[in-house]
Amino acid sequence: MSEVVLKGLKKVYDNKVTAVHDVNLEIKDKEFIVLVGPSGCGKSTTLRMVAGLEEISDGELYIDGKLVNDVPPKDRDIAMVFQNYALYPHKTVYDNLAFALKLRKEPKDVIDKKVREVAEILDITQYLKRKPKALSGGQRQRVAIGRAMVRDPKVFLMDEPLSNLDAKLRNQMRAEIIKLRSRINTTFMYVTHDQTEAMTLGDRIVIMKDGYVNQIGTPQEVFNKPVNLFVAGFIGMPVMNFFDHCQVLLENGKYYAQIRGVKFLLDDFQQKALAQNNVQPCEIVAGIRPQHVTVGEGELTAKIEVSEMMGSEYNIHARSGDDEVVMLIPTVDLTADVSMGKTINFTTRPSLIQLFDRESGNNLIWYDAESAAKDAPVCKRYDF
Amino acid sequence: METKAAKPAAPAKVRAPKKRMTKEKRIRYFKDNSPYLLMILPAVIVVFLFNYLPIYGVLIAFQDFMPGDKILSDSTIWVGFENFERFFSDPQFWPLMKFVIGFPLPIIVSLMLNAMKGRKTAKVLQTIFNGPHFISLVVLVGMLTLFFGRYGLVNNIAAHFGGERYSYFLESSAFRPMYILSSNWQDFGWSAIIYIAALSNVDPQQHEAAILDGATRFQRVIHVDLPAIMPMVSVMLIMSIGGLMGVGYEKALLMQTDGNLAVSELISTYVYKRGLTGVPDQAYATAIGLFNSIINVVLLIIANTTSKKFSENSLW
Repeated sequence: MSEVVLKGLKKVYDNKVTAVHDVNLEIKDKEFIVLVGPSGCGKSTTLRMVAGLEEISDGELYIDGKLVNDVPPKDRDIAMVFQNYALYPHKTVYDNLAFALKLRKEPKDVIDKKVREVAEILDITQYLKRKPKALSGGQRQRVAIGRAMVRDPKVFLMDEPLSNLDAKLRNQMRAEIIKLRSRINTTFMYVTHDQTEAMTLGDRIVIMKDGYVNQIGTPQEVFNKPVNLFVAGFIGMPVMNFFDHCQVLLENGKYYAQIRGVKFLLDDFQQKALAQNNVQPCEIVAGIRPQHVTVGEGELTAKIEVSEMMGSEYNIHARSGDDEVVMLIPTVDLTADVSMGKTINFTTRPSLIQLFDRESGNNLIWYDAESAAKDAPVCKRYDF
Repeated sequence: METKAAKPAAPAKVRAPKKRMTKEKRIRYFKDNSPYLLMILPAVIVVFLFNYLPIYGVLIAFQDFMPGDKILSDSTIWVGFENFERFFSDPQFWPLMKFVIGFPLPIIVSLMLNAMKGRKTAKVLQTIFNGPHFISLVVLVGMLTLFFGRYGLVNNIAAHFGGERYSYFLESSAFRPMYILSSNWQDFGWSAIIYIAALSNVDPQQHEAAILDGATRFQRVIHVDLPAIMPMVSVMLIMSIGGLMGVGYEKALLMQTDGNLAVSELISTYVYKRGLTGVPDQAYATAIGLFNSIINVVLLIIANTTSKKFSENSLW
């Protein structure tokens, strides 16, 4: 069992800057949790507090049921992979892998066995005698992962381990980490600013901004049920389309979303949720994902500015009034003319429209005041 | 500094024949780089005037030269290596072959300052350590006299407790410790700057990784900091070895007494005395100086080759 529990974790630096506010998180045994957010959101600081590299200003941290706030890093039974690999440049790969075990004064034969086992798993056996400078970025990152693996830790921490790699190698290493995870089967905390990494690797994703946790959920949840404008804009590629100055209308006991004068009757679930939240007719920001746009039908119109043929789909940048609309349109069964300069009709399924309060930026359906971070700043826009 | 393993299997290099720059290319090169060439020009002139031009003077080491003689004229008397032979058979030759080393102290100081938790304290200490560097040699030797002279602090304390007064400046055995320790005291902080600068380049994540690996503060110094400054240590060691025979004469002269002459006579003081005091024998002094420089160059080459072989670090 290696659960990690963060209770009201807070980090205040000496200059009174609060980097992390009241983070509450329960990471289950063998769960892969990803902390994601823009630069300066506090994700790395949170990870470093778990590692013991940053002092915890307030709150409690439990690893495997034990309060570890004041436990030195080496005694927390954790291992960490750093962004810059942090390999010892003067030591060979073998010595890098063996270093922690040597410090623990483990017998030489045990060290040798563990190092070779890990090297075998990571396919770096042939590089054991090399020094880090003689390895490629991907190989170095494997050694860094191997150095963490030999310690057989309860919790595996990774701080943007792929951000120094080029796009191709990053994809490759991402797949390696997924495979590795199934092999070593332990608890992972992974920090990244890349939402693709977060979506593909995490069992659950923690989305942070300005030191506050905005949402915790599975990749599906954060994609389909974003609690506020920031999460909606941060998760998903291309970014969600936002239509400002739209309305939620209540007519004859039925809720409608009105976008650019076009009314959409919301589905039963949305009706129920809005009624339950006692939502009154108001101005909203409507969000529609590019993947959820259908062209050639509906009453909304847009003029195509750029039309990129990607093979299986068109990537269209169009303008609808003041708003730029991005659409991902599958080429299969596409009958509409989507060439540049054309004006097209488009629509979406009402159930896929996200409704955000203009004042608070919160999702009128999915925002849960009880689980939301207290005192978190209002997020009216998705920019970051 | 590449290891053998570091070399990827690359196709055998075929050295392209050196192409000579065409006249147009040369003109364009000078035009393109003219601001940089202009910037470096004063330094080139100074080095030429004060470092290269005087080399011409070493010719007098091979002459029977008297002050007032022209270096090259019809009346020049060439004596070959006679001046060198005189020096090798001089009773002062072997006593002059001694080294002064205080090399590891700045390394230890820089590692300690870097490993200190309180950055403010480290900075204050560094400033304090740098202070003595700015004391002039005359003042420094004056301080030594105040401390170790017959009526200095040390003797006063000894006398207070019933001990005998003892002039450290008249004892040959006290000269080297006083010379070396006072030099180290004066310059260890200043010399540490270069290592502190090298240590500031160490990736903090390496320290964090070591902390997670369970390394103590001392183990981090040994496994992270020290290897990081080893290339710099090698370079500085090579340069120190290259300068072993070039100890300046000023401090030795200031500390010199008839009592400690046996050990306080360095090549530089000897050259000064033979070349400029009494009946000047400039040819002889130049021969000694030239010999000294050759020894320095030989030492530099040996140190560089050794370092290259064992630590992969070298000056060239």
